[in-house]
Amino acid sequence: MSIRGKAAIVGIGETPPDRLGSKPGEPRRSVQDYLATAMRLALTDARLTKKDFDGQGLGAIYSAGQSQAFWPAEVADILGLSPGLLLAGGQGGASAVSLLGQASAAIASGLIELALIVSADAPFSDPVTGSQASNTRDFEVPFGAMGPNSKIALVMRRHMHEYGTTLEQLGRIAVASRYHASLNPDAYLRAPITIDDYKNSRLIADPIRLLDCVMPANGGKAFILASAERARRLSRPPVYLRGFGEKDNPSYGPRANSDALVMGVADAGRTAMAMAGVHHGDVNFLQLYDDYIVIVLMQIEDLGFCRKGDGAFFERTDFTCTGALPIQTGGGMINCGQPSTTGGMLHVTEAVRQLRHDGGARQVPNAKVGIATGVGAVAYGKNLSCGAVAVLGTDP
Amino acid sequence: MSDPPRKPLPRISAVTAPFWGAAAEQRLRMPRCKACAAFVWPPRPSCGECGGEHFEWTDLSGRGRVYSFTVIRQVVGGPAAKAFEPDIPYVVAWIDLDEGPRFTSNIVGCPIEAVSIGMMVEVTFDQASPDIWLPKFKPSQLR
Repeated sequence: MSIRGKAAIVGIGETPPDRLGSKPGEPRRSVQDYLATAMRLALTDARLTKKDFDGQGLGAIYSAGQSQAFWPAEVADILGLSPGLLLAGGQGGASAVSLLGQASAAIASGLIELALIVSADAPFSDPVTGSQASNTRDFEVPFGAMGPNSKIALVMRRHMHEYGTTLEQLGRIAVASRYHASLNPDAYLRAPITIDDYKNSRLIADPIRLLDCVMPANGGKAFILASAERARRLSRPPVYLRGFGEKDNPSYGPRANSDALVMGVADAGRTAMAMAGVHHGDVNFLQLYDDYIVIVLMQIEDLGFCRKGDGAFFERTDFTCTGALPIQTGGGMINCGQPSTTGGMLHVTEAVRQLRHDGGARQVPNAKVGIATGVGAVAYGKNLSCGAVAVLGTDP
Repeated sequence: MSDPPRKPLPRISAVTAPFWGAAAEQRLRMPRCKACAAFVWPPRPSCGECGGEHFEWTDLSGRGRVYSFTVIRQVVGGPAAKAFEPDIPYVVAWIDLDEGPRFTSNIVGCPIEAVSIGMMVEVTFDQASPDIWLPKFKPSQLR
């Protein structure tokens, strides 16, 4: 079923990223506080009130810190909302884009007219030790695998081996992302970098370097969806969901030996772009889930903007906001920090900002169509497990 | 003085017990679907290929090739991660076993610089507790 143009984002709210609590004696904020602030900012942006959400949709994301069994219900309690539909994101970093699709489908069905998607985590300020997937706990951690760093290091080395991918090619993504961060007053890492800075950064899990990795941060983010009819009566220019696709736990080859160099985003992207009725040339920007630089590169391949292993594409393409294929226009999560699995909210909010033409110095000229992706969930012996893709546009 | 952090050990469940039991006897065994003959790894209650629910635990040759590897240079995380600090630098690898499944483990018994994608390796068992022997891999002597 197509849900093209049935729902639109009408409000966004974000706390600036911070790392409070990473040094002794710093003041701290609770996850509840980040959640409440993000909601308040989104309601203000949309010119709606909490009352408008009585009986409507509420979506929240399970994260490393916030993983108790009925976390989304606790979010409703924390925020004082009484939703008519509670949606949960359990796709790791793909959760934000997945919830965008889930809530839009619920709106398209007529179950609800509005939905608030809100999530926060605070690994420094309000840390809670989470649990691990059992296969990770039993069959990876005992060998000293260091979480996503070592997982993606395995993927990255294989990509470099199979396709000859170079640090120069990967570095162009890192440099373009940081350039955009330098134009974003809300980014955390803002000093421009060079390809040499990327190449010379310290090895963490060879070949993963410091500047390949996202860093943890505290923060909360929210976005509000409305039916297309309701959206047109609200104050902000609607940003329509034109296409959506999700693919979780894919296997490219036998399940016990999946091709680690293809991600679910490949399938999700085809679904989303077909639903949206857009071709690659119609897409004005990409906001790609960026826990690691190589994951950005692979999504550009998997979404079909270049062929798999076409390293030269990354050497010749201008990825900046005025270039041929703008990516990560706010600097991405790599430069804004990752509040655990809720970090993917950033790709949705930045896409909205661009499609409202509120991007300031980093605005993509005449942006009409953009893609936001989410990737997440560490799985045994293969690439990240979940992929979600949204095509957003100024027109339905 | 607190004790140094201890390396985390796998929990043994009904589904995984035959694997760890065999490892303690220096054998690498995996469940194989009786319906479609696919190896199911890690162990699951049903076959990922055909949905079959009956398995035969089957000994593997213990041989394979390195599909990819990483050299851990820095520990990231809490006390469990810190327990690996004295081992740094060490290799975590994906080993594609001759029978098909991809196995996550360490490459041991050779200098880190000698590890490469495609290198042939064979299993060796490393006792981690009275009950747990971790299958690790070393450069293959035979081929």
